[in-house]
Amino acid sequence: MSTQTTSLPPAELSGQPVPRRGRIGPRWFPVLMIIPSFVLIVVVTGFPLLYSVYVSLTPYNLLRPDTLAIDLANPFGNYITLVNDPVFRDALLNTIIFLAVTVNLEYVLALGLSQLLARVTVGQSILRTLLMIPMMFAPILVGFQFRWFFNAQAGLVNNILLSIGLIQEPIAWLVDEPLGMISIMTATIWMNLPVTTIILLAGTLSLPHEVFEAADVDGASGWQKFVRITFPMLAPFTFIALTIRSLDVARAFDIVRIMTDGGPAHRTELIWTYVTRLAIESNQFGLGSAMALITVFISLAFTVYFFRQLVKARIVQ
Amino acid sequence: MTTSPVTPYRRLNITLTNLLAWVVLIALALPAVWIVLTAFRPAAEINASPPVIIPRELTLDAFETMFGLNPDVRQRVPVESYLANSLFVAATSTVVSLIAGTLAGYAFARFRFRFHTAAFLAIMFSRSIPGVALSLPLFLLFVRLGLVNNVVGLAFVYVAINIPFTVWLMDGFFRQIPYDLTEAAYIDGCSYWQAFWRVNLPLAVPGLTTAGIFAFLASWNEFQIANVVTRSVSARTFPPGLFSFTEQFTFDWRGMCAMSVLMMIPAIVFVILTQRNLVRGLTFGAVKG
Amino acid sequence: MRKLLIVFSVIMLAAFSFGGLVTAQDDAPQYAGLDADLSGVTIRMATIGGGQYEAMYDSISVFEEATGATVEIVALLDGFAIDQKLKTDFAVGAVDYDVSWNHTSFMAQYVGFVEPLNQYFTDEELAVFSPAIIEAATIDGNLQLIPRHADVAALHYRTDLYEDADIQAAYMEATGEALVVPTSLAQVDRQARFFVENGHSTFGYGMAGTEEALTGRFYELLFSSGGALFDENFEPTFNNEIGVEVATLLRNWYVDGIIAPDTTALLWDGDAQNFCNGDVAVKLEWYGWYSYFQDPESCPAVAGNFSLTRGFNGFDNAGARPTGWAGAHAFSIPVAAQNKDAAAELIRFLTSERVAYEEALLGFLPVRDDVWARLIDEASASDVPLDQVRLEVARTQISDDFRTPPLIAEWIEFSNIFYPIMQGIMLGDLEPQAGLDQAAAATRERLAAAGYYD
Repeated sequence: MSTQTTSLPPAELSGQPVPRRGRIGPRWFPVLMIIPSFVLIVVVTGFPLLYSVYVSLTPYNLLRPDTLAIDLANPFGNYITLVNDPVFRDALLNTIIFLAVTVNLEYVLALGLSQLLARVTVGQSILRTLLMIPMMFAPILVGFQFRWFFNAQAGLVNNILLSIGLIQEPIAWLVDEPLGMISIMTATIWMNLPVTTIILLAGTLSLPHEVFEAADVDGASGWQKFVRITFPMLAPFTFIALTIRSLDVARAFDIVRIMTDGGPAHRTELIWTYVTRLAIESNQFGLGSAMALITVFISLAFTVYFFRQLVKARIVQ
Repeated sequence: MTTSPVTPYRRLNITLTNLLAWVVLIALALPAVWIVLTAFRPAAEINASPPVIIPRELTLDAFETMFGLNPDVRQRVPVESYLANSLFVAATSTVVSLIAGTLAGYAFARFRFRFHTAAFLAIMFSRSIPGVALSLPLFLLFVRLGLVNNVVGLAFVYVAINIPFTVWLMDGFFRQIPYDLTEAAYIDGCSYWQAFWRVNLPLAVPGLTTAGIFAFLASWNEFQIANVVTRSVSARTFPPGLFSFTEQFTFDWRGMCAMSVLMMIPAIVFVILTQRNLVRGLTFGAVKG
Repeated sequence: MRKLLIVFSVIMLAAFSFGGLVTAQDDAPQYAGLDADLSGVTIRMATIGGGQYEAMYDSISVFEEATGATVEIVALLDGFAIDQKLKTDFAVGAVDYDVSWNHTSFMAQYVGFVEPLNQYFTDEELAVFSPAIIEAATIDGNLQLIPRHADVAALHYRTDLYEDADIQAAYMEATGEALVVPTSLAQVDRQARFFVENGHSTFGYGMAGTEEALTGRFYELLFSSGGALFDENFEPTFNNEIGVEVATLLRNWYVDGIIAPDTTALLWDGDAQNFCNGDVAVKLEWYGWYSYFQDPESCPAVAGNFSLTRGFNGFDNAGARPTGWAGAHAFSIPVAAQNKDAAAELIRFLTSERVAYEEALLGFLPVRDDVWARLIDEASASDVPLDQVRLEVARTQISDDFRTPPLIAEWIEFSNIFYPIMQGIMLGDLEPQAGLDQAAAATRERLAAAGYYD
């Protein structure tokens, strides 16, 4: 892996453009490159974020405009309510389980699939297009479809299982524990497997050839090449995929809302089904905002954690 | 992929790999096939119990209704308006977020500067804010700015949502490009910009493709924010449009599937046109030496 | 082209009504609200859309023609989506329409955001609407809405089971009583169990078991058993012995397989689908499903094999009465509307006898007495016997059994607290009494925070 020369330039830049008049220097160039992204993000998310922080300190009820004011006697009332809310704690726990299982399982499947696709010689383009098909449906539609697949009486899953004799009685997929969680995980993984697979596939395809050629010369087996070369060199992509998917799964909503909407009896309750029910359906926008902020910060902690791992992985290389 | 000699064992291996890939991917596409079939089924098969797996006949009824060709159904679905809005929003937001995100990704990959990590995390942060938390404040803001029912406003939001992913992906892909190439460019007299534009960017095409596909499909399918921010038909995109098939107690599932089939066509065309670029990096990669 | 089409249809309509006059129908249903001159006025409307709901809006061209107004429909959304839109629009001050959708189950939320309609309609005009609905929709003396059409849950039962001589005989042998269409909850329970235990039906009873559907079904069984969700001071009372009785019944139905194993995941459509597929013997269901169940294409198993009747009484307590969870779709005028008088004219037109009658022909239950009289008169000539039965039952229910959910703005909020706990009781996670106590405490806490007990 000595040929691997990625990552940041060394601290003392070994190469620099020749300074000329009118040329932007090393100090301003990166800043100018980042500014467009930064401005766009601040414009779109800045106001909502500040607004949410403010609202989270009020007992705001959507239908009572007079409640949109900070109660100075008890500004953190919403946060205290949440800490003491067992449903919120369950939802948090469910979200973490949902996140851990979905993201990891999805990663393992995607890793296998990406290695398979990288080696395919027949119909590569067709297969890649086929791979992306699950991403092409709106999540709400996927939710409706899987809710029906898992319907106890008329659903496809039970009918297939019954007809091949694997089960004798219909299974209440969306109700029984832990089948409800498994059902929503299945739909989520199905829909998002392509995302992770494509990142890993693109990563695999961008690995330098020489390393593999050198390994071939040394007579390494396919498995050895995967374990010793491909997998470690994919680390940056692994962390990108894991982070992005964690953030997205933590926000997972449309599919779950349609399939179970957190039910029954909060068994599949995730943070976002709960927030939506509270903030929009139950009009408690203040409380909902507080909950949203708590989870945004939990997500941020996740991101920081993965980011650190990513930096470490780069240093190892 | 490699130059090793083709032994019988290897030939078998390649055949099995191909076979397995096809089987797995076809299996993966089956739920989608079901959705597509639903769009073409006769109404009686839609909710049949037990389900009818192979349709007994195929019909275009759902599409005729959608396009207003069915005289019994009064309201037609404004498909062309949904299509125009979705295309505009997805295309604009993809292009803008690719441009902005690639620039930023390059800066993060190639430069050390103050607040490098903080800036990077700040950009990521916006990805963790869910649509539910964004939609209402954005609606409030858009009402004040007159951006409600305006596709430009929606495209703006999608740009911001897609940037973090794009930045991170491009950062990763730029780091895969050996630094020697950039160094060589500097020695040849290139400026920072020229080194980016002429040397690194062409090698990052697989990354651009990946990010572009994700940005496009994410915008194409986004529901929550679109649902709140666009209210009138003139600004609605496909995903909230899917809800025009719901009624108080039930929904027209076949109609929804038919619209999804329609929605898929531009997405498939986009993917077919772009997915080839996922590999182009390979050939470019071979150039360096 | 579109204009030509409209002109053409107006001519056709005129020709038809003329033809109607000639054939001695001198009491043809009349339009209203066409007298004002609204030239140059644009009336904007945000209302419920989807399927049959939209047919009514075609008649608006008649209104536009006669008054000179332009009507623009700015939003057509399904029930829950339109509610969310109205709420957020009211909350952030983004109202850009003059006529808004309303519904008796949702109206308490909009109090203060919509105009009291008594100022725009005379008592005489209001007298033709079902008094039960007008009364329910009057909050603190202010009429919140003008009803458009109603829906109520009627008892649907499978005639192929209830009229089968063998099943009747077996039931007599098993229970010592005749198999008749149930009029009490205890009877429903016995019959449903009999059907399941003897394999006559996959499930004895059918119900949606999540969200507002579950809360409403509980509410319905509760009030029909003489109980109530709240007392007059809005103190929760559903955790008393009647509530526990109902909750225990639902739990036992679930545990014993009398209702579907995934009941707690079923919403209206999934629940109705089980009846459509012939898996359910008897259930309370909305009239809105009638044409679907009766269509042999969509529901071959039950089309022609079911009938419907008035709801049953709940458990035998003081104050027991027939079930009848009901609601009415309606129109209102937002306080923030620009053209309130013109909006009132449009509502007057949309709820006029003629428009209401035409909508009733599509299967909706009317809320005007004159329309009811006409429909029942006409149905006596129908060759589908159930058509007439259905109308008579519906009229009785709408005049006698029309029960809206409690008129608190927190109805959905209450439901969101209540239904997961009720699901927990059904699934065995919670004991009935403990669960209902927990729900009552949480509800009380929310209502107290909203200032109910100050």
